[in-house]
Amino acid sequence: MSDRTASGATAETAPEKPTSTTKETAGKPAATNGAPVLSAGAFDELRSLLVGPEQQTLTDLQQRVSELPSAVADVLPQAVKHSARENSNLSDAMLPLTEENIENSVKRNPRILADALFPIIGPATRKAIAEALGQMVQSLNQTLEHSISVQGLKWRIEAARTGKSFAEVVMLHTLLYRVEQVFLIHRETGLLLQHVAAPGVITQDADMVSGMMTAIQDFVQDSFQGREENQAGTLNTLKVGELTVWIEPGPKAVLAAVIRGNAPEDLRLVFHQTLEKIHTDLSRELKKFEGDTAHFESVRPELETCLQVQYDAAKDAAKPKKRIKPLHVIGAVLLLAVLVFGFLWIREYRRWSNYVTRLQTEPGLVLISAERGWTKYYVRGLRDPLAAEPQKFVVDAGLDPDKVVAAWEPYHALSAEFVLRRAQHALQPPDTVHLSYQDGVLDAAGIASKEWIAESRILARALPGVTTYHDENVVETGRQQFALIRQTLEKMVVRFQDNSTQFVSGQESEINKLVAGIQQLHDLGPKVTREFRIQIIGHTDTTGTENVNLQLSRDRAEVIRALLEAKLGSAANLEVLAAGTSAPLRTELSDQDREFNRSVTIKVFVTY
Amino acid sequence: MLGAYAVGKTSLVQRYVQSIYTDKYLTTVGVKIDKKPVQVGDTEVNLLLWDIQGDDGVEKLRSSYIRGASGYLLVIDGTRAATLDTAHDVQAFVDKEIGLIPFVVAINKADLIEEWQITPVQIEELIARGWLVQHTSAKSGQGVEQAFSTLAERIMEK
Repeated sequence: MSDRTASGATAETAPEKPTSTTKETAGKPAATNGAPVLSAGAFDELRSLLVGPEQQTLTDLQQRVSELPSAVADVLPQAVKHSARENSNLSDAMLPLTEENIENSVKRNPRILADALFPIIGPATRKAIAEALGQMVQSLNQTLEHSISVQGLKWRIEAARTGKSFAEVVMLHTLLYRVEQVFLIHRETGLLLQHVAAPGVITQDADMVSGMMTAIQDFVQDSFQGREENQAGTLNTLKVGELTVWIEPGPKAVLAAVIRGNAPEDLRLVFHQTLEKIHTDLSRELKKFEGDTAHFESVRPELETCLQVQYDAAKDAAKPKKRIKPLHVIGAVLLLAVLVFGFLWIREYRRWSNYVTRLQTEPGLVLISAERGWTKYYVRGLRDPLAAEPQKFVVDAGLDPDKVVAAWEPYHALSAEFVLRRAQHALQPPDTVHLSYQDGVLDAAGIASKEWIAESRILARALPGVTTYHDENVVETGRQQFALIRQTLEKMVVRFQDNSTQFVSGQESEINKLVAGIQQLHDLGPKVTREFRIQIIGHTDTTGTENVNLQLSRDRAEVIRALLEAKLGSAANLEVLAAGTSAPLRTELSDQDREFNRSVTIKVFVTY
Repeated sequence: MLGAYAVGKTSLVQRYVQSIYTDKYLTTVGVKIDKKPVQVGDTEVNLLLWDIQGDDGVEKLRSSYIRGASGYLLVIDGTRAATLDTAHDVQAFVDKEIGLIPFVVAINKADLIEEWQITPVQIEELIARGWLVQHTSAKSGQGVEQAFSTLAERIMEK
């Protein structure tokens, strides 16, 4: 470097010498040519006379030239300092030379530069590797974090679907961030130079935030780094809840960015470049800053670009997915409508088929046709008047009764159930009569009035489905009663003392009952067309002779007849039979049996 | 805001910025920053007030907190003579660290003037050194506005 400058300086002074010598030599040949040859001593003298002063100047100049390098060396550092302070001309001029020199040096012996750079390259490489590793760890962490969760599963599916790697999908989803604010802070004073915020972001007083950030920065530096600034360890990340503050330090200004979400590490590069550009463009203003921020208005676009580029890049990709388009709403409504109508249609269809099935299986109904119209249902068929009301099934099936138009023609169902039902309906049997039907035969059994029996015989013949009517098992109400009284009477026993026509004590009530019973038969008989006669039978025990016993039994019967006739009159139609021992009431094994056989009983003979 | 411990730096800032005063003492840890726009002549400037943790010496005063400052309010507690010594130390420290910058001395707690330990003679000495002295009371608000606006004017004059 100094060689070139020195030689340059020599070049500047050099032209003086040739010009003066040319003048001299120009005159010299003229003199030599015109004058006679002189002795060497005279020539020297002449020369000193003619060009003596010039000779001296020449010698002086020669001396100065030889002294010049040391003189320039004295002023050069000062000159370089001065030039660098005033403008960048010198630096500009030297830049190509410096570059060339470095190139040459590397060509000649790379080791020199390598040795010189070694202390810088080491930390620089370490830093670069550390940052690269940091990024890798960040993405690895995210990958691990999301690989097990439900969301992770969703993203895995997405990765498989889109053909991207899972890590890539995770990055895509997690690296949603927004640079909300950017502060440009003067490093020396901590004053805010410029501040930009993303639209809609609520900001605090930027001046104070800037001051606070500087204070924190200073505090951290003082507390953990000592006072040696060269160590240059600065706070570069602050985390406040969801917000992260990234601080990018420069020599004169600091750029602090408030980020919401996870920003990728390469964003730092963007900040770094912005800060560098600001330093280049406004180096003078930054150096001379005394509190007037007006000069820094021009960096706003710079900061805003940085803000917006990051904001848009991440957000645009995410937004369309989240936004619900009107088309989606319409689609969803249509789908819902289809589902609802489908459900209603199926439900209506099922109700209708249930109704039709019910009509088909219900006895007494014959379905001829069942049709579905656009809005109504049409049903046509035959109905036995005794069948269930079909309108009821409409309601049961859940159909709207107004929608079902039904036309039922009456008919007679000939199934056993309906013939019987019809018979019940037509004959109206009393509760004591039971009707049954099988293969055209209607059977009646039980107790009924004479009139009902007679009427039923006629009606039954007219019933559809009934070919034969049996009522042998129906007993007339009066005759039943007649039979009961007869039974009671025939069970009664009037007992006598041994070998006597005198009653045993207490037989009066028996005789009264006998009288009342016979009287009832007489009253009932004509009503139920029954004619009868009553036989009074006298009995004895087996003791004594047959003749005596026979006579005694007759006497005993006669006693009763007399008594009965006295009460009932001669029209009672009573006859007497002397049974003697021939019809004992009990086999005589004891005295009680014998006592029992000394008695009179009654038998009723129905003659019609 | 510089000065010894509990001289009322935070109270002065609160009185000046928010016009409030509370008797409750809360020690400042590190630094607290406030902002107040102030009119100096025709221009409006923002005072960014760094309310720095007070200490009875300068040993713990962080030079990074005062670096870049345009001026400072040197606060003294009128009721505690020792705070005047601290003020001298602080002033010397600032001079050494960042050079001569404008400052105003605020002798605080003017509402308790009967209890003052700092004598008028001592105050005269300060004035004689060319220091700008202002009696203030964060409690009553006396002199607070003047102290800050004087400082702002001095900074702008420079």
